[in-house]
Amino acid sequence: MTAQTDKQRDARAMATEFAQKYGILLALVLVCVILTFANEYFLTGRNIINVLRQTAINGILAIGMTFVILTRGIDLSVGSVVALAGVVSASLATTSTTAGIAGAPYPALLALFAGLIVGVAAGWVNGIIVSRYRVPAFVATLGMLSAARGLTLLYAGGKPVPALTDGYRYIGTGDILGVPMPVVIFAAVFFVALWVLSQSRFGRQVYAAGGNPHAARVSGINVNRVKLMVYVISGGLAGLAGMILAARTGSALTQAGIAYELDAIAAVVIGGTSLSGGVGKVTGTLIGALLIAVVNNGLDLMGVESYYQQVIKGGLIVAAVMLDQARHKQG
Amino acid sequence: MADALLEVNGLRKQFGGVVALSNGRFVLQPGTVHALCGGNGAGKSTFLTIVMGIQDRDGGVIRRNGKEVRFEKPSDALDAGISIIEQELSPVPAMSVAENIYLGREPAGFLGRIDFATMNKNAQALLDELHFDISAKSLMMDLTVAELQLVEIAKALSYDAEVIIMDEPTSALGEAEADQLFAAIERLKAAGKGIIYVSHRLSEIFRIADSYTVFRDGAFVGDGAIADVTRESLIQMIVGRPLTEEFIKENTPTDEVTLKVQDLNTRGWVRDISFEARRGEILAFYGLMGSGRSEVFERLFGMSPNEGGTISLFGQTVDFTSPKQAIDGGLAFVTEDRKGTGLVLSGDVRANICLAQLEQLSRGQAMQSRLEADAARKMIEMFGIKTASDRLEVSGLSGGNQQKVVLGRWFLTNPKVLLLDEPTRGVDVGAKREIYRIMSDFAAAGGTVIMISSETDEVLGMADRVVVLRDGRISGTLDRAQLSAETLVHLAA
Amino acid sequence: MIKALKTMTAATAILAGTAAFAADTPKIGAAVYGLNAEFMQIWAAALENHPAVKEGKVEVTVFDGRYDALVQQEQFETMITQGYDAIIFVPIDIEAGATAVQLAADAGIPVFGSNTRVNSDLLTAYVGSDDVQSGYMEAKYVLDQIGCTGNVVIIEGPIGQSAQIQRLEGNQKALAECPDVKVVEQQTANWSRAEAQTLMENWLTAHPGEIAGIIGQNDEMALGAIEAVKAAGLNVSDFAIAGIDGVTDALLAVKAGDMASILQDGAAQAQGALDLAIKAVQPDYEPMSPIWEAYPDMPWNGGADAEYSVPWTPVTLDNVDALLELRQ
Repeated sequence: MTAQTDKQRDARAMATEFAQKYGILLALVLVCVILTFANEYFLTGRNIINVLRQTAINGILAIGMTFVILTRGIDLSVGSVVALAGVVSASLATTSTTAGIAGAPYPALLALFAGLIVGVAAGWVNGIIVSRYRVPAFVATLGMLSAARGLTLLYAGGKPVPALTDGYRYIGTGDILGVPMPVVIFAAVFFVALWVLSQSRFGRQVYAAGGNPHAARVSGINVNRVKLMVYVISGGLAGLAGMILAARTGSALTQAGIAYELDAIAAVVIGGTSLSGGVGKVTGTLIGALLIAVVNNGLDLMGVESYYQQVIKGGLIVAAVMLDQARHKQG
Repeated sequence: MADALLEVNGLRKQFGGVVALSNGRFVLQPGTVHALCGGNGAGKSTFLTIVMGIQDRDGGVIRRNGKEVRFEKPSDALDAGISIIEQELSPVPAMSVAENIYLGREPAGFLGRIDFATMNKNAQALLDELHFDISAKSLMMDLTVAELQLVEIAKALSYDAEVIIMDEPTSALGEAEADQLFAAIERLKAAGKGIIYVSHRLSEIFRIADSYTVFRDGAFVGDGAIADVTRESLIQMIVGRPLTEEFIKENTPTDEVTLKVQDLNTRGWVRDISFEARRGEILAFYGLMGSGRSEVFERLFGMSPNEGGTISLFGQTVDFTSPKQAIDGGLAFVTEDRKGTGLVLSGDVRANICLAQLEQLSRGQAMQSRLEADAARKMIEMFGIKTASDRLEVSGLSGGNQQKVVLGRWFLTNPKVLLLDEPTRGVDVGAKREIYRIMSDFAAAGGTVIMISSETDEVLGMADRVVVLRDGRISGTLDRAQLSAETLVHLAA
Repeated sequence: MIKALKTMTAATAILAGTAAFAADTPKIGAAVYGLNAEFMQIWAAALENHPAVKEGKVEVTVFDGRYDALVQQEQFETMITQGYDAIIFVPIDIEAGATAVQLAADAGIPVFGSNTRVNSDLLTAYVGSDDVQSGYMEAKYVLDQIGCTGNVVIIEGPIGQSAQIQRLEGNQKALAECPDVKVVEQQTANWSRAEAQTLMENWLTAHPGEIAGIIGQNDEMALGAIEAVKAAGLNVSDFAIAGIDGVTDALLAVKAGDMASILQDGAAQAQGALDLAIKAVQPDYEPMSPIWEAYPDMPWNGGADAEYSVPWTPVTLDNVDALLELRQ
């Protein structure tokens, strides 16, 4: 080991870190610059608000997904949990006499709390099945994907829960100083997650449990508990996203959230989080979610058919992982 | 003199701006075992990957039987009769031994169907010829690590290779299994093959090699016949400076028992384990792979369920049910498989050092980054860990430095009893010495070291007492005065 | 093989005797493409509430096709094996449904289409509503509102689905009558409220102050557009918005004056098909559903017609309360 190779290694590590940290950010900036020139409305205050609002729901799901993927897991059930939490909480906040449960509408906060509990409970079940019964996450959450959707239809009798109270709808349609509530909530979730993953003890445990569960266990970390917690977080955030969605669209639909898990996973992967665990940042996920929303928004603005959007999103995902692979090879 | 099997001169390779190899030189004669020596980062791997056609060279000449060659892909090297047995095995677990040996070149029968009969027959003939007691039809997943290694050797030979490269072939083998491997090597030698043997274990090199070549810092340093070199001078060539002693042992055991284990059973097959470890002592656990050594450590550390027996620590009976309790009780456990169970390879040096002390380094849930940085700095200084920054990934460190990171993690917990499972495996000679120094200092300062080792030299050099395990039971406990390589091997086999 | 099977069924019926036959209520199966959305639930509920079912004159089983043509085909196979007397079919796909109909026809079981067409001449009869007409009606409403001038957008169903194709045909027929109207955007939101909302938000940005009319090919998408307009801080009353189907949320929106909707009477489609199916099994049956009186434009004609077209009902402030009442 000479000083020279140390220095070289250092330089390589810095280059790797740069690519990891800023590669996808550069892509986002580039896309934004192109769209700014391609469409006069892209860089307007209102459109930026639109993009942020359109990012919020997928972004919240993707942040939960980041925790799960960091521990080498996956949560396929978030889309269904979105719907389940949506109808349950909405049934407490509707003025409709048929769709609501007895005594509805209840105060918005109570309804929101109920939706959050539903999400947390679904996540808890996922987490127990994965951590205690050692069922692969893919299988466990695939089961929940189906079960939660079924429960949604059962609970709501297959019908939407309409006519939500204004108080409840505030989280979807209200704003604080012109910033829409979904964006405010998304930002709050993001900053909390950022702190948890980079500054908290639990965050350290998540990275260790994902990077090397055996080493984490030997070092005294309760890996099972960490795994349980990440699914609870993912479920809770899915519940939150489901309620925002219901509040935005004005009624909780049993069909809400179908395939949302895929967009969430896409945002996480584009953001540079490794599916093999232990590597990734919530800032990457934010950028990934923004990139997806910006591309969709830009193509809509330019009147490009939505089918192209799907093709482009597919390309983005694969390109992001290819970048990741190239980095590993070189490292 | 006839042409050498392989002759390499002035081999050069650069990665970006980094010179990985500046002057690779190597001559392999038929019917010899030629040791390729060097510390981590000496350029051995780069040299081998070029010879194997995995990477291209920037300069230099490779001659095979006197003819200049240039391999563009691994199959070119295989066609030229050069094959490698890699350090990391890559078996297909659900396939049979024969299928693994002939993977990708199965003998074709009627209509392109795989001719299993011929394949099994050929594979069995090959294994028999090598005196490997393995059935060609058994599944890879049913074999031991040592047997997998032997299959890998048979596979290499099935290419009719004349030049066989063995990269740390004994790293996963016990003494008896290594003997089996050495016997196979002798037969290959007798058949006129040339073997390039890469190992950190000097005792092996002196046992089976005929000649040696040393690389250091990417360049050729010297070569010659093993008969003409002493162990000390070879070490000196490898590390580039004189090493007075290979082992460092300055501790004096006391009579104060720190850990007492009685009639311990674990994992169903490790039974009746009783021993004592004392303050200031280095106690070694010696035995073959699969003799139950690691299982005893895992039980002590609360990683497997209680199946009977008592453990007392400083006079108090304990029964740890999780590693966390064991850590709080003053134990530390450096596991055998550094990459598999020791390090979080994707994490940085700091995160790895702080991993077992997260509670102490945080206030509530909030990590105190200053405390973390201080802890990392302290351990980096204490063990002389070579890293440009504590924020670099540990995967970029050499084996020795990685091991020191693991040690640093455990020293940070202020342990009273250090459990070390093969602490110097895959670590170069220089770093080995530093690890011995750490062990010795820890014991001298009143700690207790319990070390698992498969290397007799290491046990003889470091241990105050030795517990020998065989098939899950203790077959003998020896004092330092009674120690000899013969008794150890005799008790273990 | 099939012939042998038929003979066997006949033999069983004869053996069972006349007394048993009378006690044996006809078994009718309904294979619907999926029960997850409100429209099909209304359809299925109407079937269960048909007077003949309530009085126990006929036994009805609804099969949920789970939006999969293959699942539907397998359900047909099940019904054939279990000896159903007639099948009511709401296919997911106009083409893929044909195989299933063929299977039933081979087994001698009459199949009645309802709501969605299937490309097969083996259907005994079809009860549905003409999507071209509804597309025309909703576009006409929007164009009338904006005075046959200005810009409109069309939010389409999944491209290639028969409802999308026919409703678009109707949209275009109405648009052809207003040459001054320009379609500035036209894209699919896959019948989804959330997708339509995003699409509309982006269009409002791309064409600020230029869009006067919004033609949603179903109510869900029109409702999504309304939310987008609200989110953009614009006035919903400044836009002419229309959808199709008459789902509950849309009825509420009509009541609030936010949009227009054209009610597709799924209940009539279901009950009409069931009346025809019973008639096919029991030739002396007279229709029991009240729909035949409610829609004088759609005469029973002895149950012999091949096609029955259930008229569309524009939802207005006059009839919306009554319609909402029915949904309770």
